[in-house]
Amino acid sequence: MESKHVHQKIAAMRQSFFDEEVLDEKFSQLEQLEGKDNPNFVEEVFTMYFRDSTAFLETIEQAMKTIPIDSIKVDNILHQLKGSSASVGANKVLKEVNKTRQVLGKGNLEGTKAGILELRKEYDSFKAKLEPYFQLKQANSVAQEK
Amino acid sequence: MAPTLPSGDQASDQDNWDNGRLARKRQLLTEIVLRNRLTALVVDGDTTCRVLEQLLLRSYGVQTQGVDNGRDAVALIASGVKFNLIIIDMILPVLNGLEATRQIRDMGVHCKMLGVTACSGESERQAFLAAGVDVFIEKPLDPEHLVPILRELDGQ
Repeated sequence: MESKHVHQKIAAMRQSFFDEEVLDEKFSQLEQLEGKDNPNFVEEVFTMYFRDSTAFLETIEQAMKTIPIDSIKVDNILHQLKGSSASVGANKVLKEVNKTRQVLGKGNLEGTKAGILELRKEYDSFKAKLEPYFQLKQANSVAQEK
Repeated sequence: MAPTLPSGDQASDQDNWDNGRLARKRQLLTEIVLRNRLTALVVDGDTTCRVLEQLLLRSYGVQTQGVDNGRDAVALIASGVKFNLIIIDMILPVLNGLEATRQIRDMGVHCKMLGVTACSGESERQAFLAAGVDVFIEKPLDPEHLVPILRELDGQ
């Protein structure tokens, strides 16, 4: 693919994340922290975020299957996910986390289970969108160096 | 919302205000030169948050150390290491942020402490301030909050 087309595709993908409100302005702030010394910083941060968040979600899903459900444990993990999602600009994931925590806070365990399903869907969708974006950026960056 | 500029003369007052606010935020990321070498300790159990907060501080020239639990934070301070700034989360493994903050203050440490947490309730805010943090910030740590504090610490 010609370099100009790839750049346009990357830019269009990025813009779509904001248009769909998948990402918020925190992501732009992260991009500004990228520099010559750390050119893949944003991708590295998201690799970390996806690694940890996947583990968090799996732990939550397991915790929701135990009897009795340890609500404090679930809330603590959701709390962590809230902080990290807010820090990377994962806007829609953050909204689902907040919704689920509110429901959990009211003691509605069935509602919490439904909330976690929605959170999982949103998170998987988010990951499925961002990972190809970073892969394309990386491939383009390697092609530029040649 | 998407940080893009509206085209032509169609921009509303709200759009202009939003874009001005965004432009100002972007300026904050670059528009600070510290005269002094500041040091900061970041205490956060979440790797992503800790790495981001440290990098944000480093982008302003602040030397940082990071620990992932309250007990290690207290031990580091107790060992005599001094910092201009401590950024601490409320919910931490091993020793929580409230207790870690109390113990750090009980040691006679008077440096600026920012409680940066995903907790957003008023009761959490009051509890963290009562424990000894100077400022309560809901995550994410934002240049708008951080830069004035760094300027103050730098004596600007």
